[in-house]
Amino acid sequence: MNLSYIDWLIMLVYFVFVLGIGFALKRYMRTSNDFFLAGRSIPAWVCGLAFISANLGAQEVIGMGASGAKYGIVTSHFYWIGAIPAMVFVGVFMMPFYYGSKARSVPEYLRLRFDEKTRAVNAITFAIMTVFSSGISMYAMALLIQTLGLFRGIIPDQYIFHVSVILSAAIVLAYIFLGGLTSAIYNEVLQFFLIVAAFAPLVWIGLKNVGGWNGIKHTLPATMTHSWRGMGHASTNSLGVEWVGLAMGLGFVLSFGYWCTDFLVVQRALAADSEESARKVPLIAAIPKMFFPFLVILPGLIAVSVTSHMAQPAASTMQHAQSSTVTHQALPEGPGRPHGLIPVKTDPRSGREQFDSNGNVVYDYDLAIPVMLLHFFPTGILGLGLTALLASFMSGMAGNVTAFNTVWTYDIYQAYINKKGTDQHYLWMGRMATVGGIVLSVGAAYAATSFNNIMDALQLIFSLVNAPLFATFLLGMFWKRTTGHGAFTGLIFGTGAALAHHGLTLPDGAIPGIHGGWINVIHHYPSDMAQNFWTAIFAFSVNFIVTVLVSLVTKPRKEFELVGLVYSLTPRPVEAHLNWWQKPATLGIGVLVLLVALNLIFA
Amino acid sequence: MGLDIRVPLGAIFLIVGGIMSVYGIVTRSSSIYEKSMGINLNLWWGVAMLVFGGVMFFFGRQQKWQDDPVTPRPWERGEGPRH
Repeated sequence: MNLSYIDWLIMLVYFVFVLGIGFALKRYMRTSNDFFLAGRSIPAWVCGLAFISANLGAQEVIGMGASGAKYGIVTSHFYWIGAIPAMVFVGVFMMPFYYGSKARSVPEYLRLRFDEKTRAVNAITFAIMTVFSSGISMYAMALLIQTLGLFRGIIPDQYIFHVSVILSAAIVLAYIFLGGLTSAIYNEVLQFFLIVAAFAPLVWIGLKNVGGWNGIKHTLPATMTHSWRGMGHASTNSLGVEWVGLAMGLGFVLSFGYWCTDFLVVQRALAADSEESARKVPLIAAIPKMFFPFLVILPGLIAVSVTSHMAQPAASTMQHAQSSTVTHQALPEGPGRPHGLIPVKTDPRSGREQFDSNGNVVYDYDLAIPVMLLHFFPTGILGLGLTALLASFMSGMAGNVTAFNTVWTYDIYQAYINKKGTDQHYLWMGRMATVGGIVLSVGAAYAATSFNNIMDALQLIFSLVNAPLFATFLLGMFWKRTTGHGAFTGLIFGTGAALAHHGLTLPDGAIPGIHGGWINVIHHYPSDMAQNFWTAIFAFSVNFIVTVLVSLVTKPRKEFELVGLVYSLTPRPVEAHLNWWQKPATLGIGVLVLLVALNLIFA
Repeated sequence: MGLDIRVPLGAIFLIVGGIMSVYGIVTRSSSIYEKSMGINLNLWWGVAMLVFGGVMFFFGRQQKWQDDPVTPRPWERGEGPRH
């Protein structure tokens, strides 16, 4: 890849700003509250954009483009079904308890509502997962830099990976160390606008090239351009999932479990300047989120629709990180599928093309978006496109690191190691935790290079831990009878159920092992996505039932202790001073109407 | 926080948009735009970014309290929104 000085200049400007924001905010970091919660002083729109940007990491931009190229517009379900309803729910119904209870983190809410042991389980599993996620983001970024040959000719090839890891770690460390959560949020907003600024012209010029949406429809099979076609049965759509599994597994359990309980995103709303703002944060975030498929999935579709093959990028193509949200197995590869710009996957060592077991070449869909940038962007705006890619990787890391330092300091260090420190001590500890979190992430990034299937293993652990969580929060917030023992037992049993379900089922075409069936195979799923969704559904149901049963036989807490923590015992938020269009519920309904409209247009 | 995000956001768009438009003017009849179907993306998108950056920067500067960290910031004055 040939970059000119102008591309480097644009990237340099971005990094100067990233660090500059950290330095500018340093003097405002006076208390631990400033550092971990941004002093609860950020306007709703800023938190809202940070809310989606924190989640818009490497896996999302690269992975969504890849599955757009592979599965088609059906990928937008991960946004429309898999995020928006949950975001509306957390804003309208759950935020008053998170923000109103003055909890400083999600695990701390669990302690206020239930007890110490429930918090400990959540805090520890969450801290471990954030470190691994940020490590994987770092790994994916370094791999992409290596694949594209970004530093080729500047640094010797064998050092590119290491330099990329160290450089990204150092930059993220610097700006969080200096400016804490505020710095992370500000940079996420910057990143949001840069991604839009880089991808909007890409989509526009790409659509022009392929003859607009109608041109894509003309080139690609109908299942790729309709999001609901063939959803009646698993065998007639490209995801290999039927609509019940999709709506319940992805739309309800997994998406509510993520958007409503994951401190990584909830932390952005806790930084808002008032309870009203906090409630609006996810709703404001939902609006751009709804249109993000056009920025990240559509380039994938365009990439496979472009008929003229371009010359391969000069880089040798490395085996690339799999997206963490979507697994690439459901659609059979065949010679009849259009591939457009997608390059052939090559073996990193020999440089030869890779073939699957049937002798067909394997295409590297993860390169869909980078290849689009190289294909359509002349030098100059190409620098902007690469900046946006790098920005998204770094924000994905930063989001995890800020969530980690907060949970570590408040929920592990202050709760179990040093209860009586001064506020200055916890501020210091937060900075140390930032350093520690980054060092552990670098370790995780290198672990990912040495174990081939660490991605699969981690994705499995995430789904086992996350799947049952939402039942605990749902019962905790909306049923005052739920007890701490109930919540704790339910969580353990829910995770156990997920593990057992995974051990007893297998997606078609996989061998027993990391993909399931390690106890005994009693059921086959058509795709591993279907297996993943149903694992979540089982985990949620078991957690729900066990929590209810145990709660009924244990002693509930006194009602006055639960004011502000449970729906039925908390006064409704005062909204009398708001006009009807300023109320969160109105905004929520508006978002849902838009959502239905989008689904009808692309059905 | 004492720094309004619209100020750095506006500034980065002004600078990057500026770089791109100037580069676009310099290279206006160059063959590099064959890639983008003959459209001078640097110039046109650079100008669009300049406009966006200018608007953000202007509204960010309207809030004067950010320059004065000594006077209490809005959330420290007490009459702010309910917590």
